[in-house]
Amino acid sequence: MIRIFAGLLARAVVVLTGTALATFALLWHAPGDPALSIAQARYGTVVSKEVLDFIRAEAGFDDGFWTAFWAWLAPLIQGDFGQSSVNGRDVWPDLLTAMSYTFPLALVSLGLGLAVSVPLALIATRRPGSWMDRSAVALASVGVAIPAFWLGQLLILLFAVQLGWLPAMGAERTAHSILPAMTLGFGLAASLTRILRSGILEARGQSFLPAFHRRGVAQRNIARDHVAPHAAVPVVTVLGLELAFLLEGLVVVEVIFARPGLGSFLVNAIFARDFPKVQAMVILAAVIFVVVNLLIDLIYRILDPRMDGRDA
Amino acid sequence: MLKVENISVRRGGATTLKDVSFSLAAERTLAVVGESGAGKSTLIGAILGLVRCASGRVSWNDEPVGKCRPALVMQEPRAAFNPRLSLCRSLMEPIMAQKLVMDASRLDRLCQSLEVHLDLLDRRPDQVSIGQAQRVGILRALIAAPPLVLFDEPLSALDAVTQKHTARLIADMQAQEGFAALIVTHDLGYAAAFADEIAVLRAGQIEEFAAAQAFVEEPQTDYGRTLRDAAFALGALERVA
Amino acid sequence: MRSVGVLVVVCLLLAVFGPMVAPHDPTAINIPNRLRSPGGAWLLGTDALGRDILSRLLHGARWSLGLAFVVSLLGLIIGTVIGLIAAQGGRLADWIAMRTTDTFLAFPELIAAVVIAGVLGAGTETLIFALTVTGWMRYARVARGIGLSVSSRGYVVQARLAGLSPLAIARWHYLPSLLPSLTVVWTGMLARAILGISTLGFLGFGVQPPMPEWGTMLLDARIHMRSTPLQMIWPGLAVVLSVLAINLAGDALRDALAEQDAKE
Repeated sequence: MIRIFAGLLARAVVVLTGTALATFALLWHAPGDPALSIAQARYGTVVSKEVLDFIRAEAGFDDGFWTAFWAWLAPLIQGDFGQSSVNGRDVWPDLLTAMSYTFPLALVSLGLGLAVSVPLALIATRRPGSWMDRSAVALASVGVAIPAFWLGQLLILLFAVQLGWLPAMGAERTAHSILPAMTLGFGLAASLTRILRSGILEARGQSFLPAFHRRGVAQRNIARDHVAPHAAVPVVTVLGLELAFLLEGLVVVEVIFARPGLGSFLVNAIFARDFPKVQAMVILAAVIFVVVNLLIDLIYRILDPRMDGRDA
Repeated sequence: MLKVENISVRRGGATTLKDVSFSLAAERTLAVVGESGAGKSTLIGAILGLVRCASGRVSWNDEPVGKCRPALVMQEPRAAFNPRLSLCRSLMEPIMAQKLVMDASRLDRLCQSLEVHLDLLDRRPDQVSIGQAQRVGILRALIAAPPLVLFDEPLSALDAVTQKHTARLIADMQAQEGFAALIVTHDLGYAAAFADEIAVLRAGQIEEFAAAQAFVEEPQTDYGRTLRDAAFALGALERVA
Repeated sequence: MRSVGVLVVVCLLLAVFGPMVAPHDPTAINIPNRLRSPGGAWLLGTDALGRDILSRLLHGARWSLGLAFVVSLLGLIIGTVIGLIAAQGGRLADWIAMRTTDTFLAFPELIAAVVIAGVLGAGTETLIFALTVTGWMRYARVARGIGLSVSSRGYVVQARLAGLSPLAIARWHYLPSLLPSLTVVWTGMLARAILGISTLGFLGFGVQPPMPEWGTMLLDARIHMRSTPLQMIWPGLAVVLSVLAINLAGDALRDALAEQDAKE
């Protein structure tokens, strides 16, 4: 177990280093002079050449890519995300504030998605091919085809503009979270239903189940003891896959509903060409993603010890 | 001459071949016999460079063995051909890859000797019998005239009648083409009837190496004797004699 | 296989001929005609600058579907090459290729595309680059997985012994086994690319105005949500319908292949 964990951890480190390198390389080759934007943020629009030289030396821009990369990475490893190049403030507190808006929304959406999809998948698979099953499949197929940015707009149009029941923009009150959570939860529910349904059907098709029926084991016990663990493996996988969907959806939804979360943080930073913020956000997203996947890998091996990684 | 010098192969911590050495002269036949799991297929893989050796050296005339483009006849005749391509297309692979010129009369002669009707070559592997597929497999092995041909249990997928016939064909082809043959088999009767020398492989090591006739008459090791007596009891040796 | 063929043809037809059947110039500004309701000469109405929405939708097919086609095919080629290198090229090549794939997969693809397109500056080339760089990994995984199972087959061993070049082996022995599964992955990636292009357009990092891309159209329509809500329906509907059609074709193809596998 310890060896497996060490292997997974080493893989996570490789992946995070790769992400950091790719991000830095991208920003290094971005059009525009990063030193100029830092200087302008600190000292105003007109900047002397001496100031530019000073900033370049300070950030290690002059000594080539690898020096500059290390000048960024070394403090990052110690938890220092650097300062915004627009207002010079530390990035980390702003990132924390943004997280406090994003995480509750993510959890509520995930809960909503599960609350809809689990019963729906169970009802649908009671009799595969029945009209209930087919309408659940149809609903889910349409659901995954609807882009979050459109669904969010439609919900605003209906509930905020036409009916006036709910607020659309901002994040001050709990009511502000209802439409964003519905938008994200709907997409999650659709794809979760699809995967849960096929997971349950697959588990039922496993060859040992008919034997239990013959032996007269009660239907409910079969479901609890044998079908559930098999459906649980895909659910854990799906949560890993849906995490990407969730993070991507969050970016879109936060922009649409003008919520000051991580998604808006990223998009605003890109528009402002505030590269330290962009870097910080990318690294944070990568860490979240890698850590969650690490946990999923571990749960996987506990649920099904035969499993040798998910990429086999 | 094929020279195998002290090769060892490790797989997943376990040693599957240990310090194996022998040599095989041009145009001669060596049969490697042993039970399943003795490391026979690994030995073939090691000679052909498909399996990495932990130590040791394999050479043909003091050059890396790959240089002489050794050929292989496989145990599963159909698996040796891409199911999507015609047999003819697979057959031409060595010719195309080595940029040789196909001599039509040679192809005719080979086909005739191996009793492969030319119509057969337009078919796909699943449209011919296993015996036919194996004869085309031998044809492909010989088409580029390699000096060394390896046979991995060439008869075990065939039925008894076809086995005898195919064994005869292999021997005739060797007389006609003059290649060195290394035959891996679990069938001591086949080995004794067609090989010049016999190597007994047991748990990854060569247990005994002797001329075929000498081995059948008087094995030098207990294990060799057990193998021979088992073959006698099954009637495999009489059948050949 | 047939459903995918039909789909490809429909997508291409729409992308190629869509603009030709458009009744108006999609970029012709006509302020007196702005924000018209559907009907008359403007079947779906006009936008804030008086441009015909139907014409913009039809021209948009070239951007939304055409670009998705390009992006998903580029990803297919790159991913297949990387996957085959991993499967054929020995342990070190496999390790490097798969850790690279892991690294690219270890990040939500759309967010990566947003960052790349945003940082490099909006434009069609950067859009294609951003979505291709973040869209090859699934192909690579599938190509490697199947490639590894193919590489132990007898005929591949024979081809290697015969001295066939790796390129020829890939062409004759790997690709035919890969294509069915890669086609299924491709339908999924095509749908993702359509969603990706319109999402980037909507966020302002994609195809730039006045080009009529569906996501960008939605961004425009958003401002006039109160006065002309219908304007927001059409581009979204176009995205949903094309993604739905592609996903259904992909499902049908996957089922057909599974059935074929079961038979063999």
